[in-house]
Amino acid sequence: MSVADRLPTGSAERAALLGSVLVVVGVAFAASPLTATFPGDLTVFVEIAVLFTVYAILVLGLDLQYGHTGLVNFGHVVFFAVGAYTVAMLASQGSFAGLSLGLPWPLALAASLVTAGVVGAIVGATSLRLRDDFLAIATLAAAEIFHSLTENLEVFGGTTGIFSIPQPLAAAAADYDTTLLVTLLVFGGLTALTYAGLKRLTDAPYGRVLRAIRADELVTRSVGKSVFTYKMQAFVYGAALAGFAGGLFALYNGAVAPTFFTIQVTVTVWIGMLLGGASNHRAVLGGLAVIMGIRLVSRFANDAAPMSSAEFASLRLIVVGMILILVIRYRPAGIWGDAKELGVDS
Amino acid sequence: MGLAQNVVFGLVTGSYIAIAAIGFTLIYGIVNMINFAYGEYLTIGAFTGVLAAGALPLPLAALAAMVGGGVASLLLAWAFFTPINDTGPVPMLLTSIGLGLVLRNAIRIAAGQGARYYDTTTSTFHLRGLPDLSVGSVDLLGNFFVTSRMLVVVGCAVAVFLVLHALLTRTDIGIAMRAMGDDESLARVRGIDTQFVRNAVWVLAGVLAGLAGVLIGIQTNVNVTTGFSHILQILAAAILGGAGSPYGAIAGSYVIGLVVALSTAFLPSSMTGLSSAMAFLVLVVVLLVKPSGIAGTEVREA
Repeated sequence: MSVADRLPTGSAERAALLGSVLVVVGVAFAASPLTATFPGDLTVFVEIAVLFTVYAILVLGLDLQYGHTGLVNFGHVVFFAVGAYTVAMLASQGSFAGLSLGLPWPLALAASLVTAGVVGAIVGATSLRLRDDFLAIATLAAAEIFHSLTENLEVFGGTTGIFSIPQPLAAAAADYDTTLLVTLLVFGGLTALTYAGLKRLTDAPYGRVLRAIRADELVTRSVGKSVFTYKMQAFVYGAALAGFAGGLFALYNGAVAPTFFTIQVTVTVWIGMLLGGASNHRAVLGGLAVIMGIRLVSRFANDAAPMSSAEFASLRLIVVGMILILVIRYRPAGIWGDAKELGVDS
Repeated sequence: MGLAQNVVFGLVTGSYIAIAAIGFTLIYGIVNMINFAYGEYLTIGAFTGVLAAGALPLPLAALAAMVGGGVASLLLAWAFFTPINDTGPVPMLLTSIGLGLVLRNAIRIAAGQGARYYDTTTSTFHLRGLPDLSVGSVDLLGNFFVTSRMLVVVGCAVAVFLVLHALLTRTDIGIAMRAMGDDESLARVRGIDTQFVRNAVWVLAGVLAGLAGVLIGIQTNVNVTTGFSHILQILAAAILGGAGSPYGAIAGSYVIGLVVALSTAFLPSSMTGLSSAMAFLVLVVVLLVKPSGIAGTEVREA
């Protein structure tokens, strides 16, 4: 019996195995004296890839909320920000602005998951009973409130943000390129583990109930399921995952500031999810990859185009906005989504 | 500064938000969508007004901005919203978010980052000699001033309310709008051309956005974020008033305007940036306590 036959067959199990291997390899690489060097332009690819793994956890959580349960959460960035700020405030050491308690970072990372979940529960308890589009507005308002709190309160470091957050992977690895590679491996592994966990959850009968709620709340309630409880759980899981992603981002970036957590983040993950096809874990990751690929291409194209980088950034956002409009109009199920299952005409 | 002065500021802010919020809430009630790109309509109106003000006197420039806003609104609706009218509120909301992104950045490329100003002369009227009515550190009355710009803003708002009331109650198209707001199928059965009414609402909302944009421009300045920086307040005002109800939107706007002005005044100076967050806090509380708003329909489902 060869090794290949022993490999698990289900996609969730395979992702779990892959994720664990990646994390272990990444940590081992960081601890070893080995170094990696990327040739010239490739560094940009790896930087975007690291950001992709962080956003991937965001989009997977959002897809659990919107794709599976039908909750229109348009303030997803708030949970990302709450997670990042939790890690920043608990773990940073002697930042000149904002609270910095200097606690060990694993504790802070765990706390980011919990805090974001709690904030999710509060937002959920107040807004999950609203109609779809009003839920979108309530969550958007929550994100706006938190954003202006971080800009204005001294505990959050104001517009400067919080610095001197420990970067465990950077500390262990030898140089910048090695850090990038190690971060990509570890974060990629964590994304794969997230994928595995969510795939298990949504393939289970639990996931069927969530999709039943999305399809028809009344019917689901009439077969004796507590719709609100399920909605709340899905919302809190998604929020906690976003908080975890935020915590990872803070530990990778070493600093947080309000400019990292604008509505732009929400728009990016939403477009990625809709483009790929909501309620399909692999599809949303694919869609996100396409959107972030555009970002990458535009970075290179900017060097060739005769315009300022600010103008080019505007042009890119125009393209992103048009993609959103066109996807909704001509391909509401997304590229890889199942139109029949989502109940949309395409 | 006393309370009276801040109430004046609040009323001015409430006035231009009210004009925009009426347009926003009409779109909500009749087209059945939250139009997140609506802030950009204000920006379009404000820039049209600035361009027109170069050649025309200000009142005519404001008229040009209103026409420009109406035409832009109709064209955008025809290109983006009318084709997906029957897909439900969420796809339309998402489309409007995409459209807002496109418009805002197109304006940024066309007009640049800088601010433009309307060339106006203002006279200021002071009211002095009012007795102090201090409660703790808060002066409940105090001296205050009113500028002619403020009077123009408030006057325009009152004129809009009167015209709108006449339109909704005295004209066929206004009555048709209200009928569609109540029940679209019934309205169609009664022979109302629903698409025509929708188009009329788009034009009306665009005209109001154009006027609101010019008024904000007169009061402050015109730049690419003129509309976007107000969209959340407009939205909060419209929902606070009960989405779909123009009269509720007026009331909601003045509540939002006063909350923003008073919290700017009474929060510690390091936290004045929180004043817009206060507006959303009001919105969230209203959605919890009375989701239907001051006047309007239920938005709570489960």
